Amino acid sequence: MTVITCQNVTKSYRSYNVLNDIQFDIKENTLTGIIGRNGVGKTTLMKMIAGYTEVDAGKLEVFSENPFNNLIVSSNTVFIDDTMTFPESMTIQDIFKECKRFFDRWDNQLATRLSTYSGLHPKTKPYILSKGKRSIFHAIIGIASRSPLTIFDEPTNGMDAVVRKDFYRALLKDYIAHPRTILLSSHHIEEIENLLEDVLLIHNQTILFHGSITDLQERFITLMGTEQKLGNYMDSDDVIALQKIDSYVTLTMKNRFTEQEFEVMRENGIHVSNVSANDAYVALTGKSKGGIDDVFN
Amino acid sequence: MLEASSSKPIYLQIADWLENEILEGTLSANDKVHSQYQLAEIFNVNPATAGKGIGLLLEKEIVYKRRGLGTFVSEEGHEKLLAERTEERLQKKINALLEEAKRLQIDYEELLQLIEKSHRQQGGEEN
Repeated sequence: MTVITCQNVTKSYRSYNVLNDIQFDIKENTLTGIIGRNGVGKTTLMKMIAGYTEVDAGKLEVFSENPFNNLIVSSNTVFIDDTMTFPESMTIQDIFKECKRFFDRWDNQLATRLSTYSGLHPKTKPYILSKGKRSIFHAIIGIASRSPLTIFDEPTNGMDAVVRKDFYRALLKDYIAHPRTILLSSHHIEEIENLLEDVLLIHNQTILFHGSITDLQERFITLMGTEQKLGNYMDSDDVIALQKIDSYVTLTMKNRFTEQEFEVMRENGIHVSNVSANDAYVALTGKSKGGIDDVFN
Repeated sequence: MLEASSSKPIYLQIADWLENEILEGTLSANDKVHSQYQLAEIFNVNPATAGKGIGLLLEKEIVYKRRGLGTFVSEEGHEKLLAERTEERLQKKINALLEEAKRLQIDYEELLQLIEKSHRQQGGEEN
């Protein structure tokens, strides 16, 4: 079943075009990473899906409904980011109580246990928490709500490395036990690539890639060797990143090779290695052929 | 165990890990293999990725599926793995040997003599 359908959707802020004619579908119970550079419209897209902002043009459907101002969508969706606000008079336990009333599948026991584990006192008011602790509190609401559509916009902002790891682990465990559709945005793809099933990569107002994380990893290959040996490949249109130090060249390029061709390369002293999803992302969205190195040359 | 920094895709690493479990005898014929959800928890990866690892072994018929019960090691799984790995690794070594001989300008006849000599020295039977 498809949970989100996005057809020819366009969104601008005044004259600034954020998303242009994008399309994709999100299947039920997948965990998808929304990936992109700063300011490419990840938050805008997720806010449209959650029904917070309206699309300018095109068709966006969530649970087969137009999400904007829609009760069915909002009662089945939770949107977590670091700007969530709660009435200042409410304590953590008060908020959990309200969550229980609002979210059908809310697991209060899980929320309480995660809070205790994270050192959050039930009588604390969230606005006095540090940035990191507040992020933890928001993340707990996101996990314990068990919403059929759970959206995390940069949930680990402000969390330290240990907490981030715990958060991803908790999310994975609860997702395995209670599958639901999850969107997770981050610019730290290396932290989440093993957690994801799919990736939606946004770049230059469009969807640059939407597919499984393994497809993204296998789409590219890195070749390393001397300029003399790699000369044949360097001019190819398939090259997406090239680094040259003296005569030693590192190429990241589209993987159109067979295993036999790799064998031949290895025999010729070319080092062949796979590309992580993060490297593929950096190569795809960075400056092609030359990057930061060129600034110094 | 798995290495996040390894350039090998994680599902291939999971497939390798399962193959080693079978080769080392931790999993015998008709034993139940970890489910994709167990593997996901063990290796901290998405269940779909873990499922791809199991899928590779299914394709090679090293494991088989029983509807509603799970995935099990096939009768000939261990042997298939032995054959596959031997073939793959031995073949690679032979190729490397031929390459090296070429580099040293040793022709094929000479190489065969060298192999026979080594074989005799190791107490092998003479042809």
